[in-house]
Amino acid sequence: MSDLKEEGFQASEVLAAIATSFAGLSDDEKKAQIKKVNAIFELQLKNGSGKTGTWTIDLKKTGSVYKGPAKPKADVTIIMDDATFCDLASGKLDGQKAFMTGKLKAKGNIMLATKLDSVFKSAQGKAKAKL
Amino acid sequence: MSMQALISGAECATTSNPLSQVLKHAEGDRSIQRVRVTAGPSSSLYRLPPSSSQAPSAADLAAARQFFEQQQQQSRGPALPSFDVERLRNMNMSPGGHATPPPAAVDMAGAWQGAARPTFSPQLTPGGSHAAWASEFELHRQTASPSAQTAEPMYRPSAFMSQRQFQPYMPMQSWTPPVAVSGKGKGRMTDADFDAAFAALSTHSSAKIEEVDELTEGLQDASLQDNDYMSEFQKSWEEVKKNAANNPLSQPAAEELARWEAQFNQLNSESRLDDDLDYDKQLQEAYEQSFNQYDIHEPGVRIGEDGVPDFGAYQFEQDNKYMVEDAQSRSFLAEARDLLANNGSLTEAALLLEAAIQKGDTGKGGYEAWVLLGETRSMDEREEAAMKALAEGTRLAAEAGDPTQGLMSLAISYTNESYERASYNTLLRWLKARYPGVEVPPPSDMQSPWALHAQVQDAFLAVARGQHTSGAAVDPELQIGLGVLFYTDSQFDKAQDCFETALGANPNDYLLWNRLGSCLSNGSKPEEALGAYRQALELRPTYTRAIYNVGVACLNIGAYEEAAKHFLSALAMQETGNGGADGAGNDKSAQLWTTLQRCFTYMNRNDLAEMARKAAPVNSFRLEGFDF
Repeated sequence: MSDLKEEGFQASEVLAAIATSFAGLSDDEKKAQIKKVNAIFELQLKNGSGKTGTWTIDLKKTGSVYKGPAKPKADVTIIMDDATFCDLASGKLDGQKAFMTGKLKAKGNIMLATKLDSVFKSAQGKAKAKL
Repeated sequence: MSMQALISGAECATTSNPLSQVLKHAEGDRSIQRVRVTAGPSSSLYRLPPSSSQAPSAADLAAARQFFEQQQQQSRGPALPSFDVERLRNMNMSPGGHATPPPAAVDMAGAWQGAARPTFSPQLTPGGSHAAWASEFELHRQTASPSAQTAEPMYRPSAFMSQRQFQPYMPMQSWTPPVAVSGKGKGRMTDADFDAAFAALSTHSSAKIEEVDELTEGLQDASLQDNDYMSEFQKSWEEVKKNAANNPLSQPAAEELARWEAQFNQLNSESRLDDDLDYDKQLQEAYEQSFNQYDIHEPGVRIGEDGVPDFGAYQFEQDNKYMVEDAQSRSFLAEARDLLANNGSLTEAALLLEAAIQKGDTGKGGYEAWVLLGETRSMDEREEAAMKALAEGTRLAAEAGDPTQGLMSLAISYTNESYERASYNTLLRWLKARYPGVEVPPPSDMQSPWALHAQVQDAFLAVARGQHTSGAAVDPELQIGLGVLFYTDSQFDKAQDCFETALGANPNDYLLWNRLGSCLSNGSKPEEALGAYRQALELRPTYTRAIYNVGVACLNIGAYEEAAKHFLSALAMQETGNGGADGAGNDKSAQLWTTLQRCFTYMNRNDLAEMARKAAPVNSFRLEGFDF
């Protein structure tokens, strides 16, 4: 997963952790996850020094994380700061608030952006109780 | 394909190439190439040895077959039948050669085809074209290379194959050079042999068919006697060619022909009779393997505009034991109600409800059984079945003029499966049905994917506040809805308040106790959650979901062994259904199995995780020391 990392992007560490958690899923769990999310997210992140980087979370075809633009085409492209991404992933910020304050922008099927929260949650590896 | 079919078919008398039937067969069988393209490295077929000398006969046959196929492609590719006919006509006009020779490869291929034809079906050629044959044969003589060179390609079929297997869609024409050369190799007879063979064949071609048959049989006999040769062929095509090269060239042409025919027949018949079956199986296996390995994608669930997933129609259990019994007098619906009221098995109750629905006994408004089935499935930790049944139930309820029924349960099922937008829309439907006078303001920001949540939550809050200020009784269901909205927004404290408020009105509602526990658990208070679950299970010991949730709480605390026991007992609970002890026909919750698997992985018990992955009989875990 080290190829995901990039100097100056804290988010790349988080993405590497997500990739590790995906890799740790059993096939069945991965299938279930893909069935639920069924989307390819392209993340365009901008760090403090104005540099941009692109990563993709594929939860439609392969259940993987990789660096670079989505192949095939992303269902939704999410544009935000490196720091915003880290806050979202850690749960300090939720997608709704980030969107309302303009920290998060989405292109494509923007409704899928709401799924990002559940991707982060599932990546934390905690089993979820059910209502 | 028999010689008989080649020579006696009606179309054989036309200008079409008589070999076309053979080609059709060969064309149909590309399995070997396809396997090589589609199979991953794990496929056994992929590892076909490049040299066939040590391989068993199956691999040899495959290689040999592919070789033949190339030959046939060659005879189709560069020298198409139409070209052939045209050529024959030209030959008739100007026997002995042609003014503008085509490129050498095509030339040789054409010549080769001319040579191959009399070999296989000499008697097919109309007598009038003998002159053309002769001229074509002459052409072959002119263009054929020395026999030493022609034997060479026969040592390289594997090289062709290895190239081919990575370039399956290469047009045939691009293969002309090697193929033509190999074709030439096939006709490795000397010119003298050709002359002799041709002379013999010319005579035969005008003879009666019976005589030809006799000849054919004779040839076959001759080939069968040549046992050495046959076994060599089976071992390896390569060695066969060596062998053949060692044979005296003065061998009678008839025997040469017989050998050829025998090879061809053998290839065709063997590949059709048993080899093909094997191929199909292997192909399928290879396909499945590669599928499992490289593409875990299942066709995703179609999600509608309102975020509602479309799972398709509810699938009834196969072999429902209640369906077999003669039970016209019984009401399965009533029995299911009794069973549910008396803390019976949820799986049994679901089977009864399914039987009731299948017999048309759907209860009040036609939706009662469906809604009950959905709620039972949800309690039994089978969320997808629950969503299907509830979708049907709520649809029927709306038609029956009772539109709130089942909607809350459906919204909760969607929430559990992370279909948040479906959940919000379902809650909105519920609110509009329950409080028809309430005006729901449109979403504040049409562009925000989260606007729907805010809109629905504001609407629920407005109604709840209205009830509070007017001093009206608290509507527990409204509180549940609000709790779900907070829950999806990860505001577990607020959700907890809502469920506690609802419990104030219905303290014996085990569903509410479980939901309260779930809020606590997901809100990082798993220890407190266990208290709520205990309440739920005291009221309802067979509540599979609550047992599962206890397991989840244990898992998040780090008490893996405890967690595993709870998951196992939840699975055991589902086993009391149709299939009996062996679990046959008993489809348990995949969610339970995967969580159990994860739990075993945390325990570093990969052996048990593997058992869970394969959904081993639940009782086999007792042998591993799990008491549940």
